[in-house]
Amino acid sequence: MLALKNISYKYEGTNRTIFKDVNLEFSPGKVYTIVGKSGAGKSTLLALLSGLDVATSGEIAYNGENLAKMNRNKYRARQIGMVFQSLNLIPTATALDNIILSMNISGVGGNKPRALELLKTMGISPEKSNRKILKLSGGEQQRIAIARAIAHNPPLIVADEPTGNLDKETESKVLKIFENIAHEQGKCVIIVTHSKRVAAVADEVWHVEKGVFRRFDGTINLPQTQKRRKK
Amino acid sequence: MNVAFLLNHAVLNLGKNKGRNILLLGITFAIITAIVVALSIFNATNVVIDETRTSLQSAVRLVSQMQAVGGGQNNTQMIAGNQSQATFTAEELANFANSQFVQGWDLQESPRGTEGIFYLVNPAMLADFEAELRSKGLPENYAVRTDEAAFASIVAPVESLQNLAMTFLVVVVALGAVIMALLSVIAIRERKYEIGVLRAMGLKKQKVAFIIWAETVIITAICFVLGLTAGNFLSQPISDNILAGQLSNAEITATTLAERIANESANGGETPNISGNLQVDIAINFVTAAQILAISLLLASLVGIISVSQITKSEPIKILMERT
Ligand SMILES: Nc1ncnc2c1ncn2[C@@H]1O[C@H](COP(=O)(O)OP(=O)(O)OP(=O)(O)O)[C@@H](O)[C@H]1O
Ligand SMILES: [Mg+2]
Repeated sequence: MLALKNISYKYEGTNRTIFKDVNLEFSPGKVYTIVGKSGAGKSTLLALLSGLDVATSGEIAYNGENLAKMNRNKYRARQIGMVFQSLNLIPTATALDNIILSMNISGVGGNKPRALELLKTMGISPEKSNRKILKLSGGEQQRIAIARAIAHNPPLIVADEPTGNLDKETESKVLKIFENIAHEQGKCVIIVTHSKRVAAVADEVWHVEKGVFRRFDGTINLPQTQKRRKK
Repeated sequence: MNVAFLLNHAVLNLGKNKGRNILLLGITFAIITAIVVALSIFNATNVVIDETRTSLQSAVRLVSQMQAVGGGQNNTQMIAGNQSQATFTAEELANFANSQFVQGWDLQESPRGTEGIFYLVNPAMLADFEAELRSKGLPENYAVRTDEAAFASIVAPVESLQNLAMTFLVVVVALGAVIMALLSVIAIRERKYEIGVLRAMGLKKQKVAFIIWAETVIITAICFVLGLTAGNFLSQPISDNILAGQLSNAEITATTLAERIANESANGGETPNISGNLQVDIAINFVTAAQILAISLLLASLVGIISVSQITKSEPIKILMERT
């Protein structure tokens, strides 16, 4: 559903090539994780996938259509749900208002009961849902950002380290939700992570280094993940 | 996506940033109040000038040119008929007054004899009336004159009040526009992050601008009502104060037409120096309110245009990156 064709990318005014001739394909019904060192370009990739930025050369096709030539406002509003590394919630609005805002922008329309329900499945109580983002913990904010990304039911979800602030138990709950969205609802879920536990739930793990993506297949172990799994 | 949601978001925003919005409210209120005061004084003085013109310029006298020239008097000063000159009889004057241009006339006894004052239906009819009088046999050495000098002396302080109001209005609107523009630039800067988030979620630039414009319009609308009320209370005393200053500055004091005429006949044509009651009554009517609304909306739109250009300047990715 999302295909990168010979994508190269450089930040304007810099010399460093972040991506060089990258070819990748993401399909519906699967969970993908992108791993790699800090500064490898993971967030940059998500900015390209979400149409916030445009590649220096090459083309990203969404269902066969060139993203660069699409109405990217509409694409961002309807086709994609994004969890930003820096969350990007509106701090002065309540959790609920943040979710409803996103529903409204996407065109599905604000639906308070659904928003509250969604927050509840993320472990955010109705009382907390009516609190301003400023007055919620980092982990709570992260779960609200996830709820916002999936509230309008987009076919594509990209999440930048969505579980960085969560404890193991909450993390696995959230991961279950992502898995469910991909495997049961047939959406495409792309998660950037440093956590091997997150990588472990993926159908495909891609490692990015020096502008090149390499697939981890079953034969390549993720050492830490294996250790943790044994426990 | 519907407009209701955008408006709703605008209203929510107003509630969220109380400090900034109260500041904005206060400044907008001050600007609109000043506009209300200036504009209502300006419009009221217009009414006074028009009414004075109608009433004074409708009063026509027959002035002997001989006296005007021979006495070395200023041509615009009002001089009645010469004693040595034969004045008109009551019958002659009644015949003159019997005209479609005249709505009424008075006989006045002056030391010069009996004099007639004709009140025209409309000051614009002066030329027609004069032509008619000539055809009825009014000698060429009589001029048919309105009371220009009286008009000028009554209207002078009102006119300077009007000029003051106009100058003030222009300054306030210009200054208001600059202040509102600056405030909106600052507001957009301050809200850059929020705008970046909205844009990243796929909200079009125009819709973000609409939200900000709607907020400005709501604030302006509140200030419009408050400013109209405050201005209504303030403009009368302000106008009275300025006018009192004008009247005491001016050498000539004014009086109403009736008083003038009465005094004049008693004093034998000398322009009397009595303080009259010159009143500029200010009431904000529909037209004034509509003008103020138009100016307010213009200022709000200016803010809207500036907001759009500010929002268009940067892409959401840049805004969000700057923050992290
Ligand atoms: N706006 C920018 N201009 C220039 N260089 C940038 C800009 N944003 C990021 N970079 C650089 O691009 C590289 C990739 O950044 P990116 O944010 O994609 O890394 P990342 O893989 O997400 O890292 P992390 O795991 O720390 O989040 C980094 O070296 C970063 O310094
Ligand atoms: Mg990153």
